[in-house]
Amino acid sequence: MKIWISLTLVALLSGCSGIGVKPWERDLLAQQDMQLISDPIEASLDDHVYFSKEGSSGGRGFGGGGCGCN
Amino acid sequence: MASPCEVLLALPAEQAELARRMVRLAADEVWRIEKRYSRYRQDNLYAAMHALPDQSQSMDAETARLLNFADQAWHLSGGQFDLTSGLLRRAWTFDGSDRLPQPERVAALLPLIGWQKIDWVSDPVNPAGEVGGGWLTLPAGMELDFGGIGKEYAADRALGICLKAIPARWRNTGILINLGGDLACNGPRSNSEPWRVGVEPPQSEQTATLTLQLSRGGLATSGDSSRYLMRDGKRYSHLLNPLTGWPVENAPRSVTVAGPSCIQSGLVASLAMLKGQSARDFLVETGLPHWVVDV
Amino acid sequence: MTQDKSNWQQGAALGSTLAAIGFSVLQGLPNQAMAGELEKWDVDAAVLQYVESDSRVQATEAVLGATRNFNSETQLNFKLTVDTLTGASPNGAMPDDQPQTFTRPSGNGRYTVDANALPLDDTFRDTRTTVAVQWSAPLGRDWTYSGGLGYSAEHDYESSSLNASLSRFFNQKNTTLTLASSMSLDTISPEGGLPIGLSAVPEWSSTSFDADFDASRQEGSYADKQVIDVVLGLTQVIDRRTLMQFNYSLSFSAGYMTDPYKLVSVFDQPGGIVQGYRYEERPDSRLKQALFWQTKHQLQGGDIIDGSYRYLFDDWGMTSHTLDLKYRWGLGNQYLEPQIRWYRQSAIDAYQPYITSAQLAENPEALTADYRLGDFDAWTVGLRYGYRFNADTEVYTRIAAYQQLPRDFASDTTPANSGDLPGMTALMLTLGVKF
Repeated sequence: MKIWISLTLVALLSGCSGIGVKPWERDLLAQQDMQLISDPIEASLDDHVYFSKEGSSGGRGFGGGGCGCN
Repeated sequence: MASPCEVLLALPAEQAELARRMVRLAADEVWRIEKRYSRYRQDNLYAAMHALPDQSQSMDAETARLLNFADQAWHLSGGQFDLTSGLLRRAWTFDGSDRLPQPERVAALLPLIGWQKIDWVSDPVNPAGEVGGGWLTLPAGMELDFGGIGKEYAADRALGICLKAIPARWRNTGILINLGGDLACNGPRSNSEPWRVGVEPPQSEQTATLTLQLSRGGLATSGDSSRYLMRDGKRYSHLLNPLTGWPVENAPRSVTVAGPSCIQSGLVASLAMLKGQSARDFLVETGLPHWVVDV
Repeated sequence: MTQDKSNWQQGAALGSTLAAIGFSVLQGLPNQAMAGELEKWDVDAAVLQYVESDSRVQATEAVLGATRNFNSETQLNFKLTVDTLTGASPNGAMPDDQPQTFTRPSGNGRYTVDANALPLDDTFRDTRTTVAVQWSAPLGRDWTYSGGLGYSAEHDYESSSLNASLSRFFNQKNTTLTLASSMSLDTISPEGGLPIGLSAVPEWSSTSFDADFDASRQEGSYADKQVIDVVLGLTQVIDRRTLMQFNYSLSFSAGYMTDPYKLVSVFDQPGGIVQGYRYEERPDSRLKQALFWQTKHQLQGGDIIDGSYRYLFDDWGMTSHTLDLKYRWGLGNQYLEPQIRWYRQSAIDAYQPYITSAQLAENPEALTADYRLGDFDAWTVGLRYGYRFNADTEVYTRIAAYQQLPRDFASDTTPANSGDLPGMTALMLTLGVKF
């Protein structure tokens, strides 16, 4: 299993080496709205609701913990 | 600097006073740089630098950055971008005539040209990534000419000074500095409206002005327009190869480059021209937007 | 092909050399490629009002976050959250055609539920406070790291956590590999102590109630749980307008994971007569794994599409799919962002809406009727509106509707109709400000 993960990682990384932008093309990506989690507060409020009401948690950052709701 | 210079700000009409203040700051900065490095004055840094030949002199942070820039450009261009090549103007006069210099005159100047002959030692980069100064020794008879990079550098500096001074409320304003065709800007006029820039074509059969859209960064043009010599049907561009003393062969008429800063655009445009025949290939390699006008 | 690649690589090297040269000559000036300077402090505050229909749970949550920016890559973040919760929650029992009486979790009272009504326990009234601190900084040119601590407390639950992560940049920061992990230590001290899993819930009307209640209690008044999370993530810039992330995460919990307040109805047969109730019991370890993918793309006009998918599976037998889509429609200083989320969960193995006496006799190892671990679909539809005064100041509001729709529980032994299972509808209103 570990070998598969490392192999996939190496394949992904080398596959990714051709894609991307030059340093001066980062104008749009630097905007706050383009961050993957553009609003951490909204994300944490939602995570709390879904963690309390559903059986899944995390995926994006960290899983549960921190409250007695599930 | 005999070309018209302007500062454009996308501020609402009520902010006229702020706009005037920004223009004054930008102009002051441009004049400061021009005064400092101009080769026509006797009382500035340039004059002081050349008053002590063969002696080791301490340079300040700004001069150190410019000399480091010139040094890196010299390496990057294989010796063709050379701040010491200004002396060649003594042999060459580009007035559109057919008067070429005597080869002996050009050859006589070559020993006084060559970046490798000056001794420039920069201070090491400090932990904050800055250079504080350095030591320069200019051999007697040699000359450093900042004219090739001064305008572009001034455009970037003027823009930076404006950005630093503008109140937070207006920090997203689009500002464009235009120093005779060397441009630096920080953002579009409004959310989606870029600046519209017209690049005058070199005097030729080509009549249409190239119109570009600039949203961010710098724009610089390297070209010969009226500065050339024509003899026996062969055109001699004003771009001189410091290694031979003679014009670069088969250079395009003009190269315009859009890069992240004006000084960088200017460097790339100059390097492209110096590549002569392979200008286009070089520009494609850099990945920067560019426009080339051929002979 | 090789020639093209080597030219490209040369070009890339040339490009970054040029970028570096151009950058260092303009030292000390704000980078004109960035719209503005970094403010030293960024503050984020928001309030969420959460209301479920049918007088069920109501909660108010307030968050205050403050970030101290040392430079564009180094920051210290503080966060304080306070939330209060009131209202009734399903207690796990099934509706019955007779009224039902339940003992309160503390053992100090009872409540009655009407015939054919979903049994809800309204004991819950709690205030929770959380504090967290997070530090992020670069490590040389190619690495960044982050570490943080968190603590939360409510009257019957306490949690301490710490996290750390390391990221490595590749391809001129176009590719980022992140390894993050966190650990938390939780303690639960429920009202009335800890029930013995699967023991009988004492009947309030019974003469031996006190003895029965004591008999249903475990030794000790609190229990622990430890959770370790590990996430391996790959973030990739696709082009100037597109960013993607792939994450694989693992979460291992061990300890007391049962909900001490939840019950399971015991029937003699499906659709039969209620025999009694048992306290639930969950396994004492859980390994969850998830695969997550997110893409963010900015369109020509400046609008941004954000989509993500998560597939989660664990060793309790649950699998879930989560699909999230947001579209930020920019209108000058303002924006409107419709949001939609679809969630589908399939129950854990130990989940049953109720149990039969016959099954009980076989001594199951784990059993829960908590609808949150059952089969259901959930939809969230939301709309967020924001107004930006300038690059650093924004006010926003979001309204969202969240609905859980249980699915029929197909089973040979304990089938149930989705109509008898707890569904839920909630309205969420958020107001926030950033400056």
